[in-house]
Amino acid sequence: MTVDVTLNVNGRPHSLSVEPTETVVGILRERLGLTGTHKDCSMGVCGACTVLLDDRPVSSCLLLAPQADGREIRTVEGLERDGRLSPLQQAFLTHGAVQCGYCTPGFLMTATALLEENPKPTRSEIVEAIKGNLCRCTGYKKIIEAVESVTG
Amino acid sequence: MTVGDWKEPEGEKFALGTVEEQARWQAEYHRLVRDTVERERAGRGTDVDVDLRTIGMRIPRNDALYKVRGRARYAGNIEMEGMLYGRFVRSQYPHARILKIDISKAETAPGVKGILTAAEIPDDRLLVGPISDDTPILARDKVRFAGEPIVAIVAETEQQAEAACLLVEVDYEPLETVITPEQALAEGTVRIDPEDGNVITDLHHSQGDIEIGFTEADIILENDFETEPIDHCFLETPAGVAFVDSDDVLTVLVCTQYPHYHHKQLARVTGRPMERVRVVQTVVGGAFGGKMDNTVECASALLTLKTGRPVKIVFTREEVFTATTKRHAMKIHQRLGATKDGRITALDVRNLFDGGAYRSYSMICSGRCVIHAGMPYRIPNLRVRHTAVFTNHAPSGAMRSFGVVKVAFAMECQLNELADKLGMSPIEIRRINGLVDGDHTSTGQTLTDVGLLKSLDAIEPIYEQRQKDLAGQSNGTRRRGLGIACLGYGIGYSGVRNPSTARVRAEADGTVTAFCGTPDIGTGSDTSLAMVAAESAGIAVDRIRVVSGDSTKTDDSGPTSASRTTYFSGNAAHIAGQDFKQQFETAVANKLHAPREEVRLQEDSVIARNERMTFEEACRLIGDEIDGIGGYGKFDPDIAVNILTFEGNPYPTYVFATHLVEIEVDTELGTTDLLKAWCAHDAGTIVNPTGAEGQIEGGVAMGVGQALWERVVRQDGYIMNPHYRDYLLPGAKDVTQEIESIFVDTHDRTGPYGAKGVAEVSLIPIPAAMASAVADAVDARPSHLPMDAEYMLGLLNGNGA
Ligand code: FES
Ligand code: FES
Repeated sequence: MTVDVTLNVNGRPHSLSVEPTETVVGILRERLGLTGTHKDCSMGVCGACTVLLDDRPVSSCLLLAPQADGREIRTVEGLERDGRLSPLQQAFLTHGAVQCGYCTPGFLMTATALLEENPKPTRSEIVEAIKGNLCRCTGYKKIIEAVESVTG
Repeated sequence: MTVGDWKEPEGEKFALGTVEEQARWQAEYHRLVRDTVERERAGRGTDVDVDLRTIGMRIPRNDALYKVRGRARYAGNIEMEGMLYGRFVRSQYPHARILKIDISKAETAPGVKGILTAAEIPDDRLLVGPISDDTPILARDKVRFAGEPIVAIVAETEQQAEAACLLVEVDYEPLETVITPEQALAEGTVRIDPEDGNVITDLHHSQGDIEIGFTEADIILENDFETEPIDHCFLETPAGVAFVDSDDVLTVLVCTQYPHYHHKQLARVTGRPMERVRVVQTVVGGAFGGKMDNTVECASALLTLKTGRPVKIVFTREEVFTATTKRHAMKIHQRLGATKDGRITALDVRNLFDGGAYRSYSMICSGRCVIHAGMPYRIPNLRVRHTAVFTNHAPSGAMRSFGVVKVAFAMECQLNELADKLGMSPIEIRRINGLVDGDHTSTGQTLTDVGLLKSLDAIEPIYEQRQKDLAGQSNGTRRRGLGIACLGYGIGYSGVRNPSTARVRAEADGTVTAFCGTPDIGTGSDTSLAMVAAESAGIAVDRIRVVSGDSTKTDDSGPTSASRTTYFSGNAAHIAGQDFKQQFETAVANKLHAPREEVRLQEDSVIARNERMTFEEACRLIGDEIDGIGGYGKFDPDIAVNILTFEGNPYPTYVFATHLVEIEVDTELGTTDLLKAWCAHDAGTIVNPTGAEGQIEGGVAMGVGQALWERVVRQDGYIMNPHYRDYLLPGAKDVTQEIESIFVDTHDRTGPYGAKGVAEVSLIPIPAAMASAVADAVDARPSHLPMDAEYMLGLLNGNGA
């Protein structure tokens, strides 16, 4: 049995016929070729698969396609504007917040949502926001500093 | 057969982007680097010689531009026409004979295109391994750990492959399970390995006379230490894609620390000549020592050959926990003797390693633990015995520091106890015993450029200040403590030569490529190598593209491990850069009919007879002859150790550090928080401070995990917590941002621009320093990692604190 859904990904609608149990991370990666959203634990713990669903960060490995039907999904590929990096992406670059980079898209999405809702978060608000994203390489310090640097 | 579908991506092998996009990203990178260089130079003042150097600048990583766009080419992101997806059937038993494998139901399952069992792999190709070929690609008649692969299946989709795996029936005859090293060594225990029984290695090393050493001692400390197994937890699970390209080259794109190892192995396993096999490293999503063994490589290669279609295999997180290598569980018994005035007279060490089911890197880790026993101190009388044994656990292998973190845990805890007992400060005791220039290590190596005491000097005033600040602060159930630990660590393989090479070439359009064998596994080494090569060649850093980790395009330069890339490959890049510069200058001189010495390539331009031309102009001037210019560098220091006596020079250089940590223990809950860490490192010259700090901060985070929570829980040979819900990794709330990286002023005479490296080592002192801080805070001495709440409550109660 399949169901028809429309996923609006980075502003573009995609009409798809999906299994009811298909996850959004699988659809993004395998059907839409948007491999910037990574997958690791598949249990909603690591944050590597974080996307924005109607502007809120969610683990796309736990998000079933029908749950996202008709809603707005944003992925890391949608952060650029006219080929220009968002200030947050730029800050990740210059602050050394990226090492192996596997966690990076997830952090960017989580922090983007934070900054949209709260343009001037305190350090502890930043830490609170990203606590569900794991990174094994950086020790978080430079990620936090990168987010802090764009808080204006 | 879909041979020929694969085309080498144009441009950067790490980026998923069209040629136009990549050109745009490249231009962006140029701007970013130029801005950085300008800014840094402006801040440096006018000391011309040093000012012009890019070494030491915070050059942004050359791969971050596509990583922040979500356009990096991790192996799992690669899709090809006609691709099949693979999964494994894994052993249900930790130790069993395989009586029968029935694949008949799986063969007819939907979507299944190929099934591989050990039965089709010839005997001489079945066994693989990084050091000894002892691990079957797929188990044939016996399994040695739960999770060992038995059958590999490829299908049109991953789900179909997974479903087919459930249809495979394996009949087992369970055998006695060996779960502790003591059991492995006991008389009458079942033999796990047909050749060696249950002993992987048993090493002995001594220097001086241990008995005399203890008679000279006024005080002897005898303690046991124990550490649990942990997992690397690189976030990207092992993943690879195998296919045969249009030139009939079996190509494997895989996240690995050592493509050339897989290259040789795959040639043997497939029976192909080496030039018909190519291994290309993809972007590596973290490795930490855990991506140097066979995981997906052999099975995906054999299945692509079998089916004629590209094959992709990606491990699940659970597979990583159950089936990839772990950090060894270890027991250490230590006797340390010293005089009243704090001089160490004797150290007697007995180490026991749970090596798991196969050898992997147990030998290497064991050797390193022996050589590093007593590091970084003068130990006149030393005796070490180190035994690594087989058990029916997933193989233990290499992980950040190859076991030295545990050796340091024991040694540093002992030293801190010694200081306390003698009424000395932890700084003082280290000053008395710490290695200095001209000292000999336990292998008889004479040391130079030792920065240990400098790192102590850097920490001392901070320690004294914090001690004052904290006096009287600890009260009630929340207790603060300070802890210090040092490290000394040899760079590179232990005791065998491990050369690195590099080549630098230019094209007529002015682009320059540096070919380096060691891959960038996420540390940023490609950027550091570009900086070194550029500096030595006299060209701009952003002009250089680094091609690394490709068995066809680069020479085997060993793995990116053992903190060796900056030092070994950096030296190679330095020599290659200089060679390039010489040849380039000569070519320009020839064209201009100018005397050779009047031509200089520097600062990205050529000055010839007082006229300046850009690098591109010079390349055009040289024209086609540019193809003849190839800078070559090989760095192959003389390393040798007698494996029986451990005499010799096992490493070309050593790094040193002192860490100070401040922690708080909640004595009611048993929880510990790291509040601050000061990490003073003798890493030689720092090539890229942002990268070096990143290594230290990441090492501290990993150290906190190992110190406080991380442990692979095993019961009867099964892993009970094969996921992040129950295997706790440090998150942003758990790792302090108060990490101060201090680089002491040292210069290694043998390093590229004086550099030694950072990488693994920042992890090493953290668990020891934290344990010492706990002892300071609660007056009870931890001897076990992790110091989780349960352990801490037991410790606190046991000591009546
Ligand atoms: S993959 Fe979704 S949270 Fe880990
Ligand atoms: S940069 Fe490697 S996991 Fe975060």
